[in-house]
Amino acid sequence: MPRDSLITSENDIDIGLEFAGDEDEVSSFQEEHERERHRAKRRDGDREKKKRRKGRRRRASRAGEREDELQARHEKREAGRRKRAKNYQESEGRERDEEEQAQIKTGKTAKTKKNIKNEKTRKVEQEEGEAEERNAKGKKKHGSAKKEEKDEDGGKCAAKEKTQEVKKKKHKRVVETSSEQETSEEDVNEEEDSEEKELRPESLSPEELEKLKEAVDERKKLIQGLRGKPWSMKKKLVTLRESQEFVEKYEGALGKGKGRKLYAYKVMMAKKWMKFQRDFENFKTACIPWEMKIKEIESHFGSSVASYFIFLRWMYGINMILFGLTFGLVMVPEALMGRPYGSIPRKTVPRAEEASAMDFAVLWDFGGYAQYSVLFYGYYNNQRAIGWLKFRMPLSYFLVGVGTVAYSYMVVIRTMARNANESGVGDDNSFNFSWKTFTSWDYLIGNPETADNKFASITTSFKEAILEEQESRKDDNIHLTRFLRVLANFLVLCCLAGSGYLIYFVVRRSQKFALDGLDTHTWWERNEVNMVMSLLGMFCPMLFDVISALENYHPRVALQWQLGRIFALFLGNLYTFIIALMDEINLKREEEKIVKFNITTWEASLYNSTVSENSTGPPITIQPADVPRGPCWETMVGQEFVRLIISDTMTTYITLLIGDFLRAVLVRFLNYCWCWDLEAGFPSYSEFDVSGNVLGLIFNQGMIWMGAFYAPCLPALNVLRLHVSMYLQCWAVMCCNVPQERVFKASGSNNFYMAMLLVILFLSTLPAIYTIVTIPPSFDCGPFSGKKRMFDVIQETLESDFPAWFSKVFSSASNPGLVLPFILLMVLAIYYLQSTSKSYKEANVELKKKLQTQNEENKKKNKRAALKAQMDLEEARKAASQTAEQQKNNNASLQDQEADEEENHSSSQRLYHGKNRRNPPAPVREQGLPATRAPVPRNYHHGNHGAPGYLPGFPRQSEPRMHRVPSLQRH
Amino acid sequence: MVSPAIALAFLPLLLTLIIRYRFYFVLFYRAVLVRSWKDCVTGLSREERAYQYVLTHAIPGDPDSILEAFDIWCSKVEFISNIGPKKGKILDRLLMEQSPLTVLELGAHCGYSTVRIARALPLGARLYSIEMDQRNAAIAEKIIRLAGFDDDTVELIVNPSDEVIPRLRSDYGLERLDFVFMDHWKKCYAPDLQMLEGSGLLGKGSMIVADNVLFPGAPKFLRHIRKSGLYEWKVHRATLEYSKGIRDGMAELVYLGIK
Repeated sequence: MPRDSLITSENDIDIGLEFAGDEDEVSSFQEEHERERHRAKRRDGDREKKKRRKGRRRRASRAGEREDELQARHEKREAGRRKRAKNYQESEGRERDEEEQAQIKTGKTAKTKKNIKNEKTRKVEQEEGEAEERNAKGKKKHGSAKKEEKDEDGGKCAAKEKTQEVKKKKHKRVVETSSEQETSEEDVNEEEDSEEKELRPESLSPEELEKLKEAVDERKKLIQGLRGKPWSMKKKLVTLRESQEFVEKYEGALGKGKGRKLYAYKVMMAKKWMKFQRDFENFKTACIPWEMKIKEIESHFGSSVASYFIFLRWMYGINMILFGLTFGLVMVPEALMGRPYGSIPRKTVPRAEEASAMDFAVLWDFGGYAQYSVLFYGYYNNQRAIGWLKFRMPLSYFLVGVGTVAYSYMVVIRTMARNANESGVGDDNSFNFSWKTFTSWDYLIGNPETADNKFASITTSFKEAILEEQESRKDDNIHLTRFLRVLANFLVLCCLAGSGYLIYFVVRRSQKFALDGLDTHTWWERNEVNMVMSLLGMFCPMLFDVISALENYHPRVALQWQLGRIFALFLGNLYTFIIALMDEINLKREEEKIVKFNITTWEASLYNSTVSENSTGPPITIQPADVPRGPCWETMVGQEFVRLIISDTMTTYITLLIGDFLRAVLVRFLNYCWCWDLEAGFPSYSEFDVSGNVLGLIFNQGMIWMGAFYAPCLPALNVLRLHVSMYLQCWAVMCCNVPQERVFKASGSNNFYMAMLLVILFLSTLPAIYTIVTIPPSFDCGPFSGKKRMFDVIQETLESDFPAWFSKVFSSASNPGLVLPFILLMVLAIYYLQSTSKSYKEANVELKKKLQTQNEENKKKNKRAALKAQMDLEEARKAASQTAEQQKNNNASLQDQEADEEENHSSSQRLYHGKNRRNPPAPVREQGLPATRAPVPRNYHHGNHGAPGYLPGFPRQSEPRMHRVPSLQRH
Repeated sequence: MVSPAIALAFLPLLLTLIIRYRFYFVLFYRAVLVRSWKDCVTGLSREERAYQYVLTHAIPGDPDSILEAFDIWCSKVEFISNIGPKKGKILDRLLMEQSPLTVLELGAHCGYSTVRIARALPLGARLYSIEMDQRNAAIAEKIIRLAGFDDDTVELIVNPSDEVIPRLRSDYGLERLDFVFMDHWKKCYAPDLQMLEGSGLLGKGSMIVADNVLFPGAPKFLRHIRKSGLYEWKVHRATLEYSKGIRDGMAELVYLGIK
């Protein structure tokens, strides 16, 4: 033992001298020799331990190599070897760990010296069997590194010998510094056992292969965990590329013969599978209709405009399903299996209209042949089951009507719930400027012009926000703003009232026209209601927009106000229209009564006349076209809705063509010969009006929901309209619109649209349900003719098509005594869910607060810890300068002992840290401690220790460490 | 026959247009209707009326007072498209920063901008002002003299700009223009700029300021400066002179030379 220590110190001197410039072959050889001896000893000790078999084998092989080259080594220049060693160390350090690299770069020579020195000390300790385990680990670790070297250049084993020793120590530290390395090391340990079992005798150098495998695995792990590493992007990229190249190169080389092929095959298949998956993803994206179009628009106009198109697409999907239901379950069965055209009066054009039934004007108004077809309610027969399938037509008609509405409710509510989950929980008010700084950019913009606009709008929004902040402090202008807002709302109300009155007036007039007979009036007068409604729906929003400039809201808030106002306008218009329709229904029902009476008299007279003329002749056949019939209010309602939809669609398209396209063309081409800049100045290009378009879409859908029961063709029409408008609007936006001046993100308004859609859905189902429930169906047209109410069809089906017990169960289930408790239960459940969600929300807010406070506390603590550490360091430094003399007097053996203790301490701590994922850099330093503490000549020590913070034999030095470790771990 | 109800439905559109473009209507009223009315009534041109007003309301020899009188007349009485006080401030600042020795002004009109520039020039600087119209030039001359600038500081050249610019070097012995201010016909901005580039009078660091590039607007000019790459440029956004709601811009170009 004393001899060992003597030798090590001697060696240290040698190495120090060498690095200082003296190259002494003899001494170095001696050193080698000594090392060899130590190793052999240790190997003997190891042999007893079964667990370490692997390491032993490796060592043994290495020893063999060493023996072979022992001779050659003498000839080699010691200096060259050293240099190479250094190089290896450097290169390896670069590959492995940044920290390590930094250390090497800063104090290259010092580090190497230290490492070698440590090596020596450690060996001494190993003799005592103190840090056996650790050392073996280091060996293993180092082994994997060695293999890399082997891959890169086969020879230079002699140099390696040295480097390995040097590196052993370093690896150890690498393991401790980064937790990932730690885990990988553990994996290596685990792998060890399995490797032992599947030792391949046929492989030439299984060790190398294993090492290679380890290295490849390590690289893979590195690639996986690269994202989380605290490196610079450049370094990450370089490491990634290097690792990938390495894996590519050596992955295939693993395994021999059959295994190798299998492995290569597996790798290939994995790659193919990945590629296929990627392609499949691309394919799936390509399958989403209009995705690329919308993306392009998004990149040009920002997400608010794109949100409209996404909404349009969503709407299209829903309408497709509605269309599928009505088309597949109502229209097609009736057309295929029902009675053909002309077989019964309700399926025939009346004699009076026959002449003009094929005129375009009539067809355009959905009269004539269009009216007497599957497109409208009146055409359907009340036959219970049609065709060879015994298809229950009236039941199907009713259920489809109910089903479309139910499906729409379901979809809208589900989407709303999903959006509510997605929407962030941030409040915009409390951190206004932070929000603006970090969240105002729309990353989907890909167009320079839009980006410019966005940039300008962000700048202006900052300016405005600052001004607002100042104004809110000044607080004197608020009255003006309030007054202006009230004024704006007043003006809007006036406008709404005016438009409402105009529609009322028009509807009254149209009733007068209807009484007079439509033929005496011009086309303008006949279509007055639709025209006025469309025009008001088009122009009033523009007026609202102008008025809302008074209010000075944030654009998102302004958009919501605008939407609300347009909503009110459309709703007013729609309800005025419905009220007018109700009046008309009542008129028709009056008429129906008269017709019914007339028909009975007509039948009686017909019967009488036939009887009186010819009593024995065949029963007279009357053409169905000649049979007098009732007015059929359901068809009338359906027609009205279809006309409304058509006129609405036409207005939208014409506005698009005139307002956008024609204007764009004029601006573009008149600009060459105009006295001012048309593009930048007065008419300019139009902006895309998100709110107006969204509301148009929503109300259009509302009309569909309302009218679909009486005109099964409505969903089909709507699908057509949406399809055309998708293409037309996409084109119009890209071709004639300019990005909005104040581009804003639409994320917040999505659920707003949905909420409006839900309201509209509710409001549009109200009148439909009202008419279905309260008004008896016409007596001679439609699937429910002859019944008292339309929903009687359910009861009828229950009675005749289901077994008796079922109807009994149903009737008892619909007993109020059962229904009321059920409703009560539902209300209770809703209440319960509501309250729980509220409490969850509160808990969320609480948690957020807690998180915030904890964050602040952590920050404070860290600051304090850092401050304290710094102070301690200062103190230690001061103490170092003071006690520089004292150190010289300390004897070597004492230091040695202390160093051992330190080793123990640090190793135990290391083990403890190894479990911890987040390993602070503190242990690195600690690991460095024994190095400084080793018995070294003073002159050397002084020259190289950059920051003599921890000094041997100094009692205070343990204190800062104690502080630092926990404080850093808390991170 | 279109029914009255349909006609009434167009009322919101009409209101919208009126409200949205009210500034343009006001401008049209002031710049065209009032002007032609006064022309008929007084028999004088608009510039002559302005001169009369300035003569009676400003202190001779005081450029500030003259400019103020102009501003009052243009905002209260009639409309002349001078550079105006707001954009004038930007111009003043640019001149102060640049302190040019040779300045070219295209379009003196009735001398407002000439006075404004001359007032901000350093000692020994010379301003060449080009005006095409004879009558306007006469008034501009009077205004400049009234402000107290002599022939050494301001030289008024009565000729179209496209004739003058090629001859600047030969006839007026100019070597380099430090500052060019453009406020003449908006259509001439682009050709005149190209002519200036061709004449070689622009050196590295020469500044060109062009008024009214957004309204009435000089799209070709903007396109040219955007594409040529000879300039470092930006547009100072402002409103049209003596009007609040019409957006306008003043382009500031710094000649970089051919790289």
